[in-house]
Amino acid sequence: MNLNGRSVEAAGSLLDAVLAAGIALPHLCKDDNLPVIGACRTCLVEADGRIVAACSTPAAGVQECATDSERAVRIRRGVLELTAAMQSRAGGAAGGPRSAESSEAYASHAPRPGQHDVRTGTHADLSNPFFSFHEDACILCARCVTACQELQHIGAIGIAGRGHTARVTPGAGVSFRESICTSCGSCVAACPTSALRPKG
Amino acid sequence: MTRTVSSTCPYCGVGCGIVLNVDEQDRIRWVDDDPENLSSTGMLCVKGRFGTTFVNHPDRIQTPLIKRKGRFEEATWDEALDLVANRLLEHRGHFGSFASAKATNEDAFLQQKFVRLVMGTNNIDHCTRLCHSPSVEAMLQQLGSGATSNSYIDYEEASCIVLVGCDPGSNHPVIASRMRRAIDSLGTKLVVVNPRRIEMCDRADLFLQPRAGTDVALFNGMARAILDEDLADRPFIEGRTEGFDAFVSAVGETTVDECALVCGVPAGEIRAAARLFARPPARRGLPEGLVPGSCLVWGMGITQHTQGTDNAHSLLNLALLAGQLGRPGCGVSPLRGQNNVQGCGDAGCIPDSLPGYQSYGDAAIIPFEELWGAGLPRSPGLKATDMVEQIASGAIRAMYIVGENPLLSEPNLHHATDLIRALDFLVVQDLFLHETAELADVVLPACSFAEKDGTFTNSERRVQRVRRAIAPVGMARPDWEILCDVARRMAPGAGVDPAQFAYASAGEVFDEFARLMPQIRGISYERLEREGGIQWPCPSADHPGTRYLYADSFPRGVARFVPVRQHAVAEETPDGEYPLVLNTGRILYHWHGGTITRRVAGLMEQVDTVPVAVHPADASVAEIQDGDPVVVFSRRGRMGGRAVVTDAVQPGNLFVPFVKLQGSAANFLTNNVYDQESRIPEYKVCAARIEKKRERKGAFTLRS
Repeated sequence: MNLNGRSVEAAGSLLDAVLAAGIALPHLCKDDNLPVIGACRTCLVEADGRIVAACSTPAAGVQECATDSERAVRIRRGVLELTAAMQSRAGGAAGGPRSAESSEAYASHAPRPGQHDVRTGTHADLSNPFFSFHEDACILCARCVTACQELQHIGAIGIAGRGHTARVTPGAGVSFRESICTSCGSCVAACPTSALRPKG
Repeated sequence: MTRTVSSTCPYCGVGCGIVLNVDEQDRIRWVDDDPENLSSTGMLCVKGRFGTTFVNHPDRIQTPLIKRKGRFEEATWDEALDLVANRLLEHRGHFGSFASAKATNEDAFLQQKFVRLVMGTNNIDHCTRLCHSPSVEAMLQQLGSGATSNSYIDYEEASCIVLVGCDPGSNHPVIASRMRRAIDSLGTKLVVVNPRRIEMCDRADLFLQPRAGTDVALFNGMARAILDEDLADRPFIEGRTEGFDAFVSAVGETTVDECALVCGVPAGEIRAAARLFARPPARRGLPEGLVPGSCLVWGMGITQHTQGTDNAHSLLNLALLAGQLGRPGCGVSPLRGQNNVQGCGDAGCIPDSLPGYQSYGDAAIIPFEELWGAGLPRSPGLKATDMVEQIASGAIRAMYIVGENPLLSEPNLHHATDLIRALDFLVVQDLFLHETAELADVVLPACSFAEKDGTFTNSERRVQRVRRAIAPVGMARPDWEILCDVARRMAPGAGVDPAQFAYASAGEVFDEFARLMPQIRGISYERLEREGGIQWPCPSADHPGTRYLYADSFPRGVARFVPVRQHAVAEETPDGEYPLVLNTGRILYHWHGGTITRRVAGLMEQVDTVPVAVHPADASVAEIQDGDPVVVFSRRGRMGGRAVVTDAVQPGNLFVPFVKLQGSAANFLTNNVYDQESRIPEYKVCAARIEKKRERKGAFTLRS
């Protein structure tokens, strides 16, 4: 496969090939340790003339892949402008163990502020002794939900509601402390912003 | 800027990989999981993730302490070590030592070398005595090795998992996650055997709730059902076992229905469990040609009884009868409670064998004597519980206790405290000034896992690196270094070459350990660095390590059936005065006695008083509501806690975790009676009474 003009081995997904080649590409909903979600669209690349999500496109069968084409970069910037609009807290703020993933994506793509209405979710859950949840930094990538369901097989959190009312929650009207959450922290370790962040 | 250091979790025996994120002030800011670690595959639980702040707790002992006129005074290392060396020389011949299943293999190896070579005794033991000594005893007799036979990956490849007397959701959370993954995604069957309804019961196909102390009746009943329905693995029994006929005749003495009457589990459920275990339906995705396997997994519910070894025999008999050993997706797993309880035993901190479970016979001991340049004691030493009891007779007058707090973990704590108090000389080497340390003559500050290099060996026999991430707190030093300093001071007086205790690094200690323990001979720091954790047996440098044991043979040749019969259920049973059965165990948010987890603020925020689980029927008799402060009494003591009214416990039963909170602990109540063979105490059954805590009438009112 030809990747940004270099010949690379087409193994795994396009994202695997891109990362193996040492090329930076945002992939906010794809955790190294978790299955593909394909929700965030921040890893869009141009593959044989089509714009595809690198995380969920097999590399086999692709001849030409570009992460740096003008079109791919422009579309990713547009996606990141939508992503940023989900966060009333600019840039998602630091403080999570993986929050550099989102801040690096913003830094490399320079999304223009004010392109979209900012989502107004401001719920905060401080009930757990070890970590807190801040909706104003959440981009609904579902990594936390996937970590809870498919890594730890606990299923304490999910995404409730649709569209503008969608939010991560440990259950209707229930705080983290009152839920079946076992405080394992896999959700915190997965969060690419600082929506879930350790206390102290 | 933070730096990251890969290490191994210091809590339970699962041995999860952790990545410590350390800031410039040498504080652990965040603990990451390690997806590369084959034992934990990127998972952690609350204690591993958020529970390491104890490392920097202000209660850490900063300097050596010497007790003068009943008070501790700070001392230099030289003062303290000279005093320890001089006093211990006087006490050779009536000395005993507890090693720590929390410390590294290197610490443990050095401690037994010191005790055997310098103190001239095999009186060394550790907390395995209080948790899985009956399992080890039974496995050594029947199989020839005392270790878990399989790996965690086998839980994900099994077609059926049988969980007996354990609560992985609380005590081995990452193993529970791996089991849930198998059940949810592959349709693996789950059988839970527990007098208490545990969290894993939510996913169980069968939940058997036997009466306390009737395990042998239940498992003999399952064996009888397997025989009745001709589900036994005849080729396995004929080719790989002995003693089958005697076993069949013992099991033949009682019918399934008779066993059901004794244990209180309906005969139909006993038969259903027997079928699922012996011939489970194939899980989804089982490769063509593989026989569906069953994993037998057990905990303290089996072992902590006066018939603990019999209980373990009855389980192993089932595994042999159904041929559930030596293939992928089956095997026997006693879940280990402490991070290095496997390694502490491997390293020889047990009274009846040398490192590598080698006996004191000529063939095994001579290589030790040659390498160490002196003769070694050849008669078995005292077991931990006996060491404490033998203080009364004067057979033990001095002790050196490393990283263990028997005055929370021994049964009948008032009695144990009186005995420890009667010692002539006590050295405690630990992180905190805990209940046992308070009674010591000298306290030596030891490094935590984060401050030293070494290895831990987990429940699946995987040897993994522990790496120094922060500078030692105060004047703390690694256990092995302290022991070397004591040993070098005493060596001339004991007729030992001081050069025997000169090591430049933990790696050098490991090399000597690997040279003397054939099972790990092929493991080195260099390989661990390159390959990650390696599972023993690993006899040579080109050996990849071993996922499961007994593929072709057993260490004793063929495996042996050991017939056992149900005896009295317990030493002490309920009566009019103490009408309830008290069962003890653990909870997710605390760890064992709580010496460590009491010093983690978030864990204390989760649980700050001892929860006492009581059935609604018993609660109503005692007029107790959920959340009420209660007092629990036994013939040996009393403790306070908070009532959790729940039908997870059976009527007539109480469940109390043995963590000490607000000065109250279950072990003030438990019974210091022991299993004959293994000398484990009967923590799981004693007679008790519960009362609502009476409001204290205001004695007087302060005037404003």
